[in-house]
Amino acid sequence: MHAVAANLIRYRELMATLAWKNIALRYKQAYLGIAWAILKPVSLMLIFTLVKSFVGIKSGNIPYPILTFAALMPWTFFQESASDGVNSVVGNTALIKKIYFPREIFPITAVLTKLVELGINFIILAGMMVWYEMMPGIYILWVPVIIAYTVLATLTVAFAGAAVNVYYRDVGQALPVLLSLLMYASPVIYPLELVKEKLLVHQAAGDWSHALYTLYTLNPLAGIIDAFQSVVLRNQAPDLMSMTPGAVTIAVLLPLSYLYFKRAESYFADVI
Amino acid sequence: MAIIEVEHLTKEYRLGQIQGLKTAFLNAGRRLLGHPTEERLPFKALDDVSFSIEQGEVVGIIGHNGAGKSTLLKMLAGITTPTSGSVKVDGRIAPLIEVGAGFVPDFTGRENVYLNGSILGLSKKEIDRKFDEIVDFAEMSQFIDTPVKRYSSGMQVKLAFAVATSIESEILIVDEVLAVGDLAFQRKCFDRMEDLIKRQEKTVLLVSHNIRQVERLCSRVILMNHGRTMMDGTPKAVCNVFYEESDRQIAIQKTGPGRLQTTGEAEIIDIYCTRFDGTRTDAIEFGQPIRIVAKIEATKPLISPLFVVGIHTTDFIYLTTTTSSDNYRHMTLPPGPHEIALNIDRFPLLPNVYSIRLSIDVETPIKNVLYGENLHHFTVRSSGLQRSGSNCEGFFPFEKCTWTLDQVAGDLPPRPASSLTG
Repeated sequence: MHAVAANLIRYRELMATLAWKNIALRYKQAYLGIAWAILKPVSLMLIFTLVKSFVGIKSGNIPYPILTFAALMPWTFFQESASDGVNSVVGNTALIKKIYFPREIFPITAVLTKLVELGINFIILAGMMVWYEMMPGIYILWVPVIIAYTVLATLTVAFAGAAVNVYYRDVGQALPVLLSLLMYASPVIYPLELVKEKLLVHQAAGDWSHALYTLYTLNPLAGIIDAFQSVVLRNQAPDLMSMTPGAVTIAVLLPLSYLYFKRAESYFADVI
Repeated sequence: MAIIEVEHLTKEYRLGQIQGLKTAFLNAGRRLLGHPTEERLPFKALDDVSFSIEQGEVVGIIGHNGAGKSTLLKMLAGITTPTSGSVKVDGRIAPLIEVGAGFVPDFTGRENVYLNGSILGLSKKEIDRKFDEIVDFAEMSQFIDTPVKRYSSGMQVKLAFAVATSIESEILIVDEVLAVGDLAFQRKCFDRMEDLIKRQEKTVLLVSHNIRQVERLCSRVILMNHGRTMMDGTPKAVCNVFYEESDRQIAIQKTGPGRLQTTGEAEIIDIYCTRFDGTRTDAIEFGQPIRIVAKIEATKPLISPLFVVGIHTTDFIYLTTTTSSDNYRHMTLPPGPHEIALNIDRFPLLPNVYSIRLSIDVETPIKNVLYGENLHHFTVRSSGLQRSGSNCEGFFPFEKCTWTLDQVAGDLPPRPASSLTG
């Protein structure tokens, strides 16, 4: 733990430079530049809003577009930084084979890069809140905590994924599919309230309802998205009950993922 | 105190491809059942290598391709880990292993200097301070805000070299990077390396195939062969062994003729060298007699033949040409085998590996029926001359020459202000 922190501090400049490289590179020869960062969540929001008008998803007293946008922000951040993180080691083959610095810099930098784009999306969110005349309350102070937690969730996927991807490129291929499946298993299109209502109130699965709900919330994104919506839009504290199973998942898997990465790291240059 | 300490270093690679999932699962199953598994063969890139390097030493590492030089450097730079043994490095390492790793084509020269600098471990402040010097050295000030993808490859390498050598570290690892850019820039790179080595007293590890460069820059040379250290000592002694080794390599390589053209009127059966007593040899002592023999088969009568035998280096510099001129022009060789021999009383060429070329012309006006190069390799040795010594540079010494040395009276003419060195 101490060594991890020491490395982070020692290589902070390198990480900042590499993150700057990623961002600058992505928008270098693009006319719209950094505006592309908001394209994905905004377009998905529009599509979901359209779909919602056919199937009817209850969104409580919060307008559906802003509810789903607030879900898409952490989701898109997780999805993109996890997949960039997984590909970060293989994508830097030239560096891996020539120069040594701690390899965890690559996945961490990939995640940091996406934080910048997440920041840009906050501007859109703020604009929408003005449009819908919503006032953020004191609970908005939770946001940094939730984002930090999301970063940890992302790194859990990124470390192990990046290491395995060096040996078997299948991971890089499979990940987009898995992530898009995970999106439907996360409260992105629909709010967590609906799941809660179905399982906990209506007991839709009978005796299994509580177990099923715990299973659903083992996915840390369930808690993250709901908490983000709560603190920003509902002006409520996060629902810790639905966050706990996911937090346990991360607490167990992140150290394992990191240790596996560090163990595999010394062979990257040989295998890649 | 040793700044680099390498003990029993071994690195194994598995030959062949990474196993697919199927093989991995099958092997897991076999292991469970106690059956032998399908293993890929190990290959020892480094085999029990030990040495230690003191602060301020400049060590050259030489050896043929695949001898383990680059693997060793990668290990020292921490890029890969040893299979067994240990590497201890006490100080900051700047790896110049292939300059320009991490250049981003879409970035401008300026952006790449910052990016590459921080990848190599410079802080932003340090780069700020050195930026002008780097750009000056690379002669790039005009293009520094142009994307690197529009640079010529030489320009890229120049910039990369300038960044890489601006790192302040105790240990510098250099892998064959001096051969960059045009001749003028190579000179500059060489001077910079020499400056880093001689004046700043850094510990340097230099891998190169340019043996003269290694000899000149290094204070100690390690010769690697098939993953082992074959020799470790003074540049002179080690380079000598290396020269002999590679001469032998070249000589035994059965490369086909570089060029062989024939009209079909004559074919080469065999070409070889012998001593004057007729015993075949491929190792000639410098200054000793030698006979070059060519067996040919004439398929048609060869009218007034003219034979030409020449000697060239392995990189095709023609050194000698000897023609039979009018000796056999009055003859007509009947079809069948013939043996032509060129007798040389004192072989004049200095120790090296040489090759033979042969040409046969017929008739008047002259018509070429056979021409071949690189037909047979042979080695010239000398017990009295050191292969890497200065008296072995070039191709031949003057047979007859004398020196004079006189005191000159009066004023010397003024000298030009600058004189070439090296």
